[in-house]
Amino acid sequence: MNTARIVIQDLRFAYHESEEVIKGINLSFNRSATALIGENGSGKTTFVKLLKGLLRPISGSIYINGYNTATTTVAKLAKYIGLVFQNPNDQLFKQTLIDEVMFGPLNIGQPILQAKASAEKALEMVGLSNSKLIHPYDLGLSDRKLVCIAAVLAMDTDIIILDEPTIAQDYLGKEKIKQIIKELRDQGKLVIAITHDMDFGAETFERIIVFHDGHVLLDDDTKTVFKEHDLLKEFHLELPHITQLGRKFNFPEPLLTVDAFVDHIKNRNHQKPSYPL
Amino acid sequence: MAKLVVENLKYRYPLAKNLALNNLSFEVKNGEFIGMIGPNHAGKSTLCQALVGLVPQFFRGAYGGRVMVDDMEASKVPLSKLASKIGIVFQNPFSQISGVKLTVYEEVAFSLENNGFSRSEMIDRIDWALKLLNIEHYQDRNPLSLSGGQMQRLAIASIIALKPEIIVLDEPTSQLDPQGSEEVFKAVGNLCTQGLTVIIAEHKMERICKYAQKILFLHQGHLVTFDTPYQVFSHFNLEGYGINAPVFTNACKKLEVKLNNGFYPIKLDEAYRKIGAYYEHR
Amino acid sequence: MVIYMGPMGLYQSNNSILEKLNPITKLLYIITVIALSIIIPAPQMNLACLLASVTLLIIGRVFWRLIPFIGINITVLISIIVIQGLFMAGNKTLWFQIGSLRFYQEGLCYALNLCLRVFNILCAFAILLLTTKPSDLIESLVEKGLSPKLGYLLCAVLLIIPQLVAAMERVMDSQRSRGLETEGNMAVRIKAYLPLIVPVVLSSLINIKEQSMALEVRGFSSDLKKIFLNQQFSPFYEILIQIGLLTTITLALLRRLFLWLS
Repeated sequence: MNTARIVIQDLRFAYHESEEVIKGINLSFNRSATALIGENGSGKTTFVKLLKGLLRPISGSIYINGYNTATTTVAKLAKYIGLVFQNPNDQLFKQTLIDEVMFGPLNIGQPILQAKASAEKALEMVGLSNSKLIHPYDLGLSDRKLVCIAAVLAMDTDIIILDEPTIAQDYLGKEKIKQIIKELRDQGKLVIAITHDMDFGAETFERIIVFHDGHVLLDDDTKTVFKEHDLLKEFHLELPHITQLGRKFNFPEPLLTVDAFVDHIKNRNHQKPSYPL
Repeated sequence: MAKLVVENLKYRYPLAKNLALNNLSFEVKNGEFIGMIGPNHAGKSTLCQALVGLVPQFFRGAYGGRVMVDDMEASKVPLSKLASKIGIVFQNPFSQISGVKLTVYEEVAFSLENNGFSRSEMIDRIDWALKLLNIEHYQDRNPLSLSGGQMQRLAIASIIALKPEIIVLDEPTSQLDPQGSEEVFKAVGNLCTQGLTVIIAEHKMERICKYAQKILFLHQGHLVTFDTPYQVFSHFNLEGYGINAPVFTNACKKLEVKLNNGFYPIKLDEAYRKIGAYYEHR
Repeated sequence: MVIYMGPMGLYQSNNSILEKLNPITKLLYIITVIALSIIIPAPQMNLACLLASVTLLIIGRVFWRLIPFIGINITVLISIIVIQGLFMAGNKTLWFQIGSLRFYQEGLCYALNLCLRVFNILCAFAILLLTTKPSDLIESLVEKGLSPKLGYLLCAVLLIIPQLVAAMERVMDSQRSRGLETEGNMAVRIKAYLPLIVPVVLSSLINIKEQSMALEVRGFSSDLKKIFLNQQFSPFYEILIQIGLLTTITLALLRRLFLWLS
């Protein structure tokens, strides 16, 4: 018996008969920071909606902390798995940030004082604790997105899924989200994020799953996935920019950060370069 | 030939305390490709809207200084008239679709119908714009059935059909996947080689450095600098402003590898060449 | 009951003869049908118009698409027939009896006549809505002097429903993800109302701001007279149809006037 946090067995799903969107996926997740990448239409968002229980598999099964999503209500699953959607405007409806962030915790049965404490902690984590009494719509889009992340963090679930967290974020916003993901992973949580931003992906996640046409194309640690340059290119996926630079030098291992690249160059000072000049 | 001159431009949104644009002055020459950078809330969107007259004609508020597009003053000339000189494309491709047209072809026609062009002129311009954006093979598709990148190129075609000489793009790729973003940037680069002046706001520095001849750098409503990308990314303490240089520049800075003219590389190939040479010398 | 709403509302292109007709002609047909049913309220008149509309719908190859709408209406109308047949105030002549339920002729006739009228108007409108591209309808009205802004609004309203449904689904997913119960008894549903409706309204307000900026820079409020790419032709035979329809209304009016005077 597989005791991982999420166990997925031969998962299949279709919105309309005869048009399968998820075509037989087997995966398991424990505690890690994992990125889902792939072209638009490869099935990433459908996949996370299935995990969350918003959609029901047409065959195969998903177990979240041992609960089968097909037979457990979304409201009950919400205690174990949180999902932050792409567009913050699809959920914000309260008058103040703190009320908005308390909505989830109250729904899953936290007593009011505890809900307030979790909400305050979550707002602090995303750096908005000074704005907790203002209206969500008085914030810019990038901050509203952080409110939505806080709204899910406050529910203190073991599993947190983020759909395109870096959209509309600038450099500092991305750094903040990177920090949050690392912190959650250090707390022992499972973080899964859909992302198109390969630079962000390379710096933030330890495992990468590449989706293509409803299948899992690659599933490995970040370095190994970015070794597969030709395969990724075939499916319109780029390497992170710094990895592209490393690749030009024919380094055997993909380099994922500027620091790793610089160290690599400096430490190779006695060897002859292996690239044509 | 359209020239864009901004003089002491100031703007404050109604009910806001701080100036969204604080005394900006700069001049854009014909045919340039300008990258507009800065963190969120730096005033990039507001400036884009001021260049095409939406500020202060659509958004009221306190306005000072002026934006001149050739001999037209952007705050005074009617927007539809300005549109034949300077066009704008927004972030979200969805909200730019008129929503009342059934095909890509008719969607482009919408801009022209409003401006009273003759039918034969319309057809010429639609064909030309669709071709330029490389979406002519989608002309009979429903706009809402397009991918993000295709839809954003349709939005650009709808603006280009009015034949402006300057086009302003406000983070047109922020909601697109990498493939869609690349499609849009290629199309915009193509417009620039056709002689259009391009001003584009963008977060991805690596992408902007592939194309931009100059960088317009905003922070908290101020113009930090307006200079070549080499100047901007080599000499500024960018982190202090909440933005990041291209990763290639960052790597070269750490290795202290410079181009012959004393600047740090900003593009992949430059970085590769120079770091390669650095190797040779060791 | 599923009513198919494409991205363009009810319209689906099928290249029929009706689709090629000028929207104004079809609009005139609706007016004629309604006018006739008011001027000559006899069931025979309604039946004749209904038959004409159904024939046109069959010629236009869209009759089957009307069936879901008829289905919805039938449930309502059957209850009207039953209630009127049983309880209408003027009921005198017993027609038939099921157990202890007595159905009267007057009530049933009244209700059937009412149903006939409803179907009659429904079918006349269906001819316009199922075979006309919304933008063509609005453009031909704008050419006839309708304000372009009102025209755009009408057109957008016709097309916005599929988008609202999509937005509603996204909001529903977001809030259920945060543990909101949306199914269950009345109290649960009432509680779920605000979290579901507020985001739909607020986000469409935000979209409207962006959308109206995009419209402005595309010259939507330009003072120039709009020229539409797709010209609405009125060939000779269509003008004949239009004159024919107008003549029918006039004749009916004259007949009514004559009966009233004599």
